[in-house]
Amino acid sequence: MIKMEDIRKSYGPQDNRFEVLKGISLTVEDGDFLVLLGASGSGKSTLLNVASGLEYPDSGKILYDGEDIAALSDEERTRFRKEKTAFIFQQYYLLPHLNVEQNVKMGADLASNKDYRKTIEAVGLAEKRAKYPHELSGGEQQRVAVARALAKKPEVLFLDEPTGALDETTGRQVLDYIDRLQKELGFTIIMVTHNANIADMAKTVLRMNSGKIVEAWQNESQKTAYEIGW
Amino acid sequence: MRDVFKSAGIIIISFCAVFVCTLFLNYNIDLKSAEGLIFQEDAQYFYHAQIMTGKMVSALSGGCLLLTSAVMLCFYIGHYIDTHSKSLGILKAMGYSAGRLACSFAGFGLSVFTGTGLGYAGAHIIMPQFYKTQNKEGLLPEIHIHFHPALLLALVVLPTLAFCLLSVLYGRLRLKAPVLELLKGRSSSKIKVAKSTGTAKAGRELPFLQELRSSVLRQRKSLVFFIGFASFCYAAMMQMSFSMDELASRMMALMILLIGIVLSFVTLFLATTSAVKANWKTLAVMRALGYPDRECSSSVLGGYRLPACIGFALGTVYQYVLLQIAVTVVFRDVENMPEFHFDVPALVVALISFTALYELILHAYARKIRRMSIREVMLDED
Repeated sequence: MIKMEDIRKSYGPQDNRFEVLKGISLTVEDGDFLVLLGASGSGKSTLLNVASGLEYPDSGKILYDGEDIAALSDEERTRFRKEKTAFIFQQYYLLPHLNVEQNVKMGADLASNKDYRKTIEAVGLAEKRAKYPHELSGGEQQRVAVARALAKKPEVLFLDEPTGALDETTGRQVLDYIDRLQKELGFTIIMVTHNANIADMAKTVLRMNSGKIVEAWQNESQKTAYEIGW
Repeated sequence: MRDVFKSAGIIIISFCAVFVCTLFLNYNIDLKSAEGLIFQEDAQYFYHAQIMTGKMVSALSGGCLLLTSAVMLCFYIGHYIDTHSKSLGILKAMGYSAGRLACSFAGFGLSVFTGTGLGYAGAHIIMPQFYKTQNKEGLLPEIHIHFHPALLLALVVLPTLAFCLLSVLYGRLRLKAPVLELLKGRSSSKIKVAKSTGTAKAGRELPFLQELRSSVLRQRKSLVFFIGFASFCYAAMMQMSFSMDELASRMMALMILLIGIVLSFVTLFLATTSAVKANWKTLAVMRALGYPDRECSSSVLGGYRLPACIGFALGTVYQYVLLQIAVTVVFRDVENMPEFHFDVPALVVALISFTALYELILHAYARKIRRMSIREVMLDED
């Protein structure tokens, strides 16, 4: 379980600080599919970065099964990210000079996962495992990023606008892979998006505005990637 | 202004090249004019040895340093185009021709002017002392310093013009890339794909970090060259300076030592900086996934240790062979020439000091990697 208590975060010079997160508190159950909705500048990506241990909050607690990662040293947080989390970014961030298999191995090696080829198969890229990122379409590159993230067997998967750079068909396909793999493997998902339709896939939805959670609800039933609007 | 500062490497190297060449060539020309005044046999031997030394030092040091400056200049321009490819792509898309954009690269040639100009001036400042040292035994008649306009032309004006031209031509060549390729950033066609290795063919898998390390080296062969070259210069110049102390004069030994250290430090520093910058995003992704800082820095920088060792070994062999040839062939007729042996203590000192310097630079960058903000790197990408 992830519990965040009164998280605050500001950017900018001392005399002109801009408060991006204004005392966020929330709880995420194990295996939840949580979507953070909000317009650009609402603070959702910052919350994701802070929750995943990429950034320190200015104040507040982020408890993972009781352990406060906001109080960890940089080295300890690296170990935490290694053992517990994985990321999927809007811009994929694949290593351009490594092929699909090597990119996925980047995640797999951290979890000593020797079966990473199954993950490549699971995202439908078995035939393209020797290809390099520039030889793949945007959707295929994002699927490599999904495989890389899942190959490290995370407990929590963080996604920052994973379909932001994709067209509708490819976007649905990527979401479908993530959805199916989550149901199969049971990891927790925390996804940031500005597309309100994607929220229909989630179990829990939080809407953010100006650094605060302004609305929260639970979906009674979760739609699949092919049932939601776009 | 920032880009001019970045070309400090070229300024320093061209300074060293012109400084050495001006000293020795100016002395050689002035010495030649006094040839008719040298009658004694031992003075004539000494005269010929000095003329030969001047030619050799100018050709070897000056030539090598100017060549390095040229390679470094192309490297800078290539790097500049890679890092500013989006802006250059937009300008090309708006209708600016590759030639017109490349003309602005002539500014890179000005860094050569700064270096050569300072080197020329610096040499003239130290020249009286140099002339005195060269003839401290008093075997030769008094040599007076004269100003030789041809040297100014050959060592300052012509290299500046040549480097300006080189900058424009190389820039034009690189900017001929299609607009879309420039807009997308570092062209995908430049990605060097690995050939399947023996181990891969045999089905044996390499750990990710090992694959990354070899891939990093494969992508930036120019950096491998620079790091190898820096080690080569350091090993050769440092050990040569010890031998020069016995074979020639203390002043020459000090000059070679300083040039060697400056050259190798600048090259090594710039190559390491480029290696880290080129892999900044790779490092950010690795850190986001949870790779420890030590593994991040060793995967990007650790691979350069082998080229550094090879460069050091080649530099050691090079200086030994060069001095052996000088003693046994060039100066064979010079009397009282001390015997030349491989200097083991010099090797030990060079090796220890180089290892310390190299590791210090790597350590500084490892610290920088630890302090990098993943968020800033990611935002920079967007």
